[in-house]
Amino acid sequence: MKLTRNHAEWIVILFFVGLIAVVFQQIYTSMTEQGIASGSPYNNAAAYPRAVAILIGALLLCMMVVSKITSKSIAAVPSENTSNLKRPAILLFAFAAYLVGLGTLGYHLTTPLLVMVILFLSGVRNKWEIALFGFGLSLFMAFMFEVFLKIVLPGGIFTLNIRW
Amino acid sequence: MLIDSLAAGMELFATPLAIGLTLFGVLFGLLVGALPGLGPLMGIILLLPFAIGQPPIAAMGFLIAIFVGGSCGGSISAILLRIPGTPLAAATLFDGYPMAQKGRAADAVGIAISASALGGLFGGVVLILFAPLLADFASGFAPPEFTVLAITGLIAIVVVSNESLVKGLLSGCFGLLLATIGTDEFSTNYRFTFDSYHMLNGFHIVAVVVGLFAISEMVIQIKGKDLTDKPNIPIVRASFSSLILTLRHWINLLRSSVIGAFFGSLPGAGGVISSFTSYAVAKAASKPEEKYGEGAEGGVVATESANNATVGGTLIPSLALGIPGDASSAVLLGALLILGFYPGPELFEHQPEIVGGIFLVYLTSNVFLLIAGILTTPLFVYVLRIRKSHLIPIVLLMCVIGTYALQASVFDLWVMLGFGLIGIVFRAAEYPLSPIVIGMILGPLLENNLRRSLLISREGYWIFLDRPVAATLIVFNVLLISGAIWFAYRQRQKAIAAAATAPE
Repeated sequence: MKLTRNHAEWIVILFFVGLIAVVFQQIYTSMTEQGIASGSPYNNAAAYPRAVAILIGALLLCMMVVSKITSKSIAAVPSENTSNLKRPAILLFAFAAYLVGLGTLGYHLTTPLLVMVILFLSGVRNKWEIALFGFGLSLFMAFMFEVFLKIVLPGGIFTLNIRW
Repeated sequence: MLIDSLAAGMELFATPLAIGLTLFGVLFGLLVGALPGLGPLMGIILLLPFAIGQPPIAAMGFLIAIFVGGSCGGSISAILLRIPGTPLAAATLFDGYPMAQKGRAADAVGIAISASALGGLFGGVVLILFAPLLADFASGFAPPEFTVLAITGLIAIVVVSNESLVKGLLSGCFGLLLATIGTDEFSTNYRFTFDSYHMLNGFHIVAVVVGLFAISEMVIQIKGKDLTDKPNIPIVRASFSSLILTLRHWINLLRSSVIGAFFGSLPGAGGVISSFTSYAVAKAASKPEEKYGEGAEGGVVATESANNATVGGTLIPSLALGIPGDASSAVLLGALLILGFYPGPELFEHQPEIVGGIFLVYLTSNVFLLIAGILTTPLFVYVLRIRKSHLIPIVLLMCVIGTYALQASVFDLWVMLGFGLIGIVFRAAEYPLSPIVIGMILGPLLENNLRRSLLISREGYWIFLDRPVAATLIVFNVLLISGAIWFAYRQRQKAIAAAATAPE
C-alpha cells in the first residue's frame, strides 16, 4: 500500500478541524465558567484565540477551494510504501515505551535498551557493538550531564543514580 | 552611546565562561553544520536547554556561536562529499566540490572558513551600526505599531519562504494558538489547560522546538538505506594561507557580504537566498578565465561570505524589534526571553550592557571561527565518518536529556514526542515548521499589544489606521500577500504551459 502526500494533507486538515473544535469547546465551557469569554479587551481572553481559530477555518476553506479549482496536479505527488514506514513506526513506539519506563525504572535501566533498539533498527547486527555502544553512550551522556551540567537524571523506583 | 554599550557589555563578556562557551559554540556549530541532516538550527535546539542555565551573555554567546559556526559548517561536507551539510551551503558545492576534485580540498575548506569569518565580521559591523538606529526609530512605537509589526513579521516569514502561502499561514496560526495555552496575562485566568497543572505555563517552547525539528528529523533519517555505511573521506588540513587567497577576492567578498547582510535584515529571506543571489552576481561579474562552476575560488568566497553575513543581518530586526528573521533567530529570541530579557527598543535603552555583550560575542565568534575553524578541520573529517546508525541515538539522547533538564519533568518529554509526531505529519504534507515557532514567539507580542491597543482606543480597530506607521505596515502586509498570490498564480501558469509543451 502506498501513502501519498495527499493522505498526510488530509490528516493535517483533520488536525486543524479538531483544533478549531477544541478552541470553541474550551471557550464555551472552561472560559465561560471563568467569566473570560466575553467583555472588554481586558477581561475577554477568548476573543483572540477565537479569532485565530476562525482564521484557521477560513484558510482551510480557502485551501480546499483553491485545490478544487486547480485539481489537475502538475507535479507527481510524492508517495511512500508503507513497508518503508516500518522502521520509523517502530522507533516511535520504542520511544514511547522508553518514556513510560523512564519515570518508573529510571534512566540507567531504560536508556541502554533504547539505544540498542535504535542500533538494531538501523541495521547494526554485531551483538558486541550493540551492547557496548548502548551501555557506553548511555553512561557517557549521564557522566557529561550529571557531572558537568549538574542535571539529575531520573532514578526510578530503584533510585538508580550513579554517584560520580 | 554605542561605545558605552560595548564597554558595559565587555564586563559581562570578558569572563572565562563566556569566552569558553563562545569558542565551544563555534566548534559545535561547525560540527552540526558539517553533518548532513543537522545544521545550525538543530545545533541551537540541542544545546538550548543547557545554555539557558548559564549567565545571560555566556548563554547567548554559546547559542550565537553555534549559529555562526553552523552557517559555515555545511560547506565542509559540500566540498568533501558533494552533500551540503545545510541548505546554506548548497551553492558552495558548485565550485567547492570541483576544487576538491582537482586536489585543492584544503584550499576550498580554508577559503570557505575564511570567507565565512570575514563575511560574518562585516555582518557584525552592520549589526552594531544599524540595530541601535532601528531600535531608536522603534522607541516611538506604541501597542498598535507592535501589533501590526508582529503580524508583518509572521507574514514576511511565510511569504518569502518557498512553501505554499496558505500552508505557511496555517502553521503560523497554529503557533499563535499554542502561545495562548496557560495563564492569560490580563485576566490571570487559565486557557486550554484542561485542569492540568502541567499546562499552567503552556508547553515549554524548547520541548516544542526539539520535537518539531529534531525528533521528526531523526525519525525520517531512520528510513534511510545507508545507515551503517561509513563515508571514505581523506583527512584534509586547511591553512591560514587560505586567508590570503580569500582576500585576493576582496571586491567579491565585500559585495557578497553586503548582499548577505541586506537579505539577513529582511525577515524570512535568510542565508539560502543570500548565498544563491551573491553567487549569481559574482558569476555575472566574473572574468571568463575564472570559470565559475569548475572550481573558481570566487564562487566559494561569494556564497560563504554572504551566508555568514546574513547572521549579522538577521540579528538586526531580532534585537531591535523582537521580530525574528528566521527559525534560528526565533529560537535565539526564545532563549533571550527565557533568560528574562525582552528584545526591542527597551532592551537597548534599559539594558545596553546586554546588547553590547551580544555584539561582542557575535564579533568574537567570527574571530574564533577563523582561527579554530582552520586549526580543527581534520576533526570534522573524523566526525563526517560517523555512521548514521550511531549518530541517530546520540542526537535522540541529547534531545531527551536536554528537554528533561528544563523542568526535570517527563511531561516535557511527552510534549516533545507529541510535537515530533506533528512535525513528521506536517513535513509529509509539506507544511513548513518554522512559522509554528515564529508564531509561538510573536504570539504574546501580538495578543498583548492588540488588547492594549483596543483598551486605549476610543474607536475600536480604527486605531490601527489612525497611526501612520501601523497603517503603512498594514498596507505593506496587504501588498505582500497580494504579491505572493500573484506570484504563485504566475508560477502555476508557467508550470501548466511547460507541462503542455513537454514531449510525451
